[in-house]
Amino acid sequence: MNISRRRGAVLAMSVAAVLGGLTACSSSSNHGARAPSTGNGSSASSASGGTPSAAASGGGGGGGGTYTIWDPYPQFDNSSDWVKLLQSCGSQAGVTVKRTGFDTTDLTTKVLLAAQQGNAPDVLIVDNPVVSTLADGGVLTDTTATKLDTSSIQPNILAAGQLDGKTYGVPIGANTLALYYNKNVLDAAGVDPTTVKDWSSLTTALQKIKAAGKKGITFSAIGTEEGSFQFLPWFWGSGANLTNLSSSQAVSALSLWTDWLKNGLAPNSVINNTQTTSWQEFASGDFGFGENGTWQLANAQKAGFPYGIISIPAQNGGGAPVPTGGEFVTIPVQKSTDRYATDEKLVSCLTSADNAYTTDTTLSYVGATKDIQSKQGSSTPALQPWIDAVQNAKGRTSDNLGTKYPKISEQLWKAVQSALSGAQSPQAALSAAQSAAAAATK
Amino acid sequence: MNETTGSALPVSDRGVAGAAENAPATRGRLNRHAMTRQLAAWGFVLPVTVYLLLFYGWPLYRNIDLSLRHYTVRSFVQGGAKFVGLQNYRTIFHDPTFLPALEHTAIFTAASLFFQFSIGMVLALFFFQHFKLARTLRALFLVPWLLPLIVSASTWSWMLNSDSGVVNAALGVVGVGPVHWLTSPTWALTSVTIANIWIGIPFNLVLLHSGLQSISSDVYEAASLDGAGSWKRFWLVTFPLLRPVSAITLLLGLVYTLKVFDIIWIMTRGGPADASTTLATYSYQLGFGTLLPQFDTGAAVGNVLILIALVFGLAYIRAQRKAAA
Amino acid sequence: MARRRWLRTVVGVVLTALMLFPLYWMINVSFTKDNRMRKSPPDLLPVHGTLAGYRAVMHQQLPYLATSLVVALGTVIVTVVLAAPAGYSLAKLRPRGRGALTFLLLIVQMIPAIIMAFGFYAIYLRLGVLNTIPGLIVADSTIAIPFAVLIFTAFMSGIPGELLQAAEIDGAGTLRRFLSVVLPVSRNAVVTVSLFAFLWSWSDFVFASTLDISGHHQPITLGIYHYIGNNNQQWNAIMATAVVASIPAAVLLVLAQRYVAAGVTAGAVKD
Repeated sequence: MNISRRRGAVLAMSVAAVLGGLTACSSSSNHGARAPSTGNGSSASSASGGTPSAAASGGGGGGGGTYTIWDPYPQFDNSSDWVKLLQSCGSQAGVTVKRTGFDTTDLTTKVLLAAQQGNAPDVLIVDNPVVSTLADGGVLTDTTATKLDTSSIQPNILAAGQLDGKTYGVPIGANTLALYYNKNVLDAAGVDPTTVKDWSSLTTALQKIKAAGKKGITFSAIGTEEGSFQFLPWFWGSGANLTNLSSSQAVSALSLWTDWLKNGLAPNSVINNTQTTSWQEFASGDFGFGENGTWQLANAQKAGFPYGIISIPAQNGGGAPVPTGGEFVTIPVQKSTDRYATDEKLVSCLTSADNAYTTDTTLSYVGATKDIQSKQGSSTPALQPWIDAVQNAKGRTSDNLGTKYPKISEQLWKAVQSALSGAQSPQAALSAAQSAAAAATK
Repeated sequence: MNETTGSALPVSDRGVAGAAENAPATRGRLNRHAMTRQLAAWGFVLPVTVYLLLFYGWPLYRNIDLSLRHYTVRSFVQGGAKFVGLQNYRTIFHDPTFLPALEHTAIFTAASLFFQFSIGMVLALFFFQHFKLARTLRALFLVPWLLPLIVSASTWSWMLNSDSGVVNAALGVVGVGPVHWLTSPTWALTSVTIANIWIGIPFNLVLLHSGLQSISSDVYEAASLDGAGSWKRFWLVTFPLLRPVSAITLLLGLVYTLKVFDIIWIMTRGGPADASTTLATYSYQLGFGTLLPQFDTGAAVGNVLILIALVFGLAYIRAQRKAAA
Repeated sequence: MARRRWLRTVVGVVLTALMLFPLYWMINVSFTKDNRMRKSPPDLLPVHGTLAGYRAVMHQQLPYLATSLVVALGTVIVTVVLAAPAGYSLAKLRPRGRGALTFLLLIVQMIPAIIMAFGFYAIYLRLGVLNTIPGLIVADSTIAIPFAVLIFTAFMSGIPGELLQAAEIDGAGTLRRFLSVVLPVSRNAVVTVSLFAFLWSWSDFVFASTLDISGHHQPITLGIYHYIGNNNQQWNAIMATAVVASIPAAVLLVLAQRYVAAGVTAGAVKD
């Protein structure tokens, strides 16, 4: 191994030289081919011009240069309002913006890899429970270094981006969960949604719906963060706390879901449902209720049946605490600190009241500041229940869980899967989860 | 290393293996002719060797290094992870997920290989006959391969969905109650295995079919003159002649099946309750499946998989040598 | 006799239909409206179909298809150029340490793609070839090269030694023998390897998403990204992309298929 490694190094170098030559000549031919075909993404291709590594090497300095932005919105292409907003923020700051959209589950890995190689983007928009992990990894700058202003942000939304008293980003908006209901199904079953105040009245409503030949409720209990996100309102609504997964309250929450499945009030497919799949089930028109998020509002209007929204009830009445969702705009650590000034301009532009309002409307999110929320409330009354929900929502990494949260969450979704699939009783599943989580976070 | 596998070739060829045994004798008196021959020989394999060292050597080295250090997110990004020896391996061996994952890997791989191979063989024999459209139909059998795995795996999970899946709808027509293909601990592993068999059939079909084509028709004529029936002919003539092809097909199949993770990941996420977790998905789950990546233990599981493949590779090479001797 | 042939065709069609049923289902979903996707029981035919998925694809995906084609063909070339000489050497020239090399070729295929991708990312960043088509081609060829060398070795060791000796007596050097004797004889092996290299490169996602995600030219597997929102997936468009993506490749497959005749493993079967 030793010998071959040394030889390998020499070989590697010679190959690097060969490859360098190879790519140099083919990339020049590439430019020739690229020039006429600017129709696809003219703004983006002009952005990087001839030197794709300009952004990576941090050259450019004060005036102009290329700044990279990564976001988890691959559904927006170069012609979308979102990308146009990014471009215009760039030109206001006097720089060119090169933007890449990633699938949200992919983004964490890619950011870690890029940061390891010293190639992190200038601005990163990332799902809120990931912020504390990235911050702990030293990937993100905190606001004392970058002079970002977070004073107008609602504290419960900002909490997800805070770790040990420091703030690592600005929320672009927030979303959360509630129960959508199908008016036709509820009417046919004789259920009045206003009577759903706690778990027992909800279960009664589901039984009536089932008796009327329809399906009760659908949600997402998949073995990923989505599953935990959807279970948390019930978990917290029972009075349980994430520091003790096997409390009797927690068991009662998991038993509620398990019994729904056992009694046919929720479909077996929830075990593998993503929130999208779960929405598709609800959109088929057969279900009375569907637990889903703010972002489905636009789809709900297209569903073809009258719908309504109620907040998720707590066990003994009242609204359950719901988890905040949504992304944070952050500034990853750069080799040269003189980039931060421009980064700060870009972030401020994206999160400024007017722009954030536009973005939140596009994403169907609730604004992170009181101002934006009241503007949304008056222009889109349908959002009002969501605004109320967001004001009462709770960050998943708050309660000072920080980087412990991912480990606890993993055990939580595993327990939900075990109980719903019948592999273990709720009590046994949660006890196992608690001991695994305790071991992982000690 | 050189001594132990000196004459090993993936697919045995008597001429080559036989000549290789003479190699030590000639080694002593390397004349100029032999030298230039060696130079030419290495000239031809040099590009691939360099390529292997550069693009496989580095990741492999990284993977081993990852598994021997304690990595946190911070040390992954900033460097300076502590060397912990085999600590990560001890951790995974004691993890309650490990043994079931190992067991599922064995079942998943064995069942996939068995069915892919036997179905592939039957289909190869079938398409080897002459009939109209045989070629076109055989080409169509390869189409599933063109699909990105995310699409084919999603299509399978769609079809196997407990409530709105077409498979359960079909079962309902014949009066069988719904089966929770992907959501019950008893069925999940079977379901992902079925999907994997489906994906693996084209590979087996192509290789075995080409193997069949290279058996000279004289052999068959001789056998039919002897009055061998078609069943007997297959077992006595075709199958033995196909042995080298079968061996390489099975070995490559094993290597590819051991590392399958996308299909399982998309269909069940290894669940419910780890019921369809294999070593490959377990490794991915550790490394990338949560919000907090654990690259070190993930890499350790990956290396265990590589070790398993290593064992089978060695066994294969030994068997080849025995056959050649 | 003729009737039996027809019977075989019928059986063949039925088997193919069974095998391709998941594909049909994919096509069905690609025409289905969002709100009917999870209907129970499902629609067997896209009777209430929508062309929304295909409209999206036609507007956005065609450049991706072209890139995929370039990348896949490039992969084929790199694979054959690197693997064929190696196969020849391993089969006929007996370089020392070939046992170790073939063993390595077998084992490296076990390294998880994502780990490979990490390695490539680090190398490419330094070479400045991230987000370029040549970079993606080289990465994609790692999927096929070990397999290709093994197949070439197997095939070429079946080439009769007399053929090469005759050429040697005629004064042909090693390279000449390889180019004018071995390669032409191995046409079928070349086609088979090309086919596999093409298919693997065509459907690669891991390398593309790590090494080409910010590129101007992206393959079709990344085109699918457009339909994966952070909270919502447009399944009819995803499936439509897959359908559209498989058409040109399927045509190529049927055409190339005629050449995959006696070949792949001829050398392995004949002693």
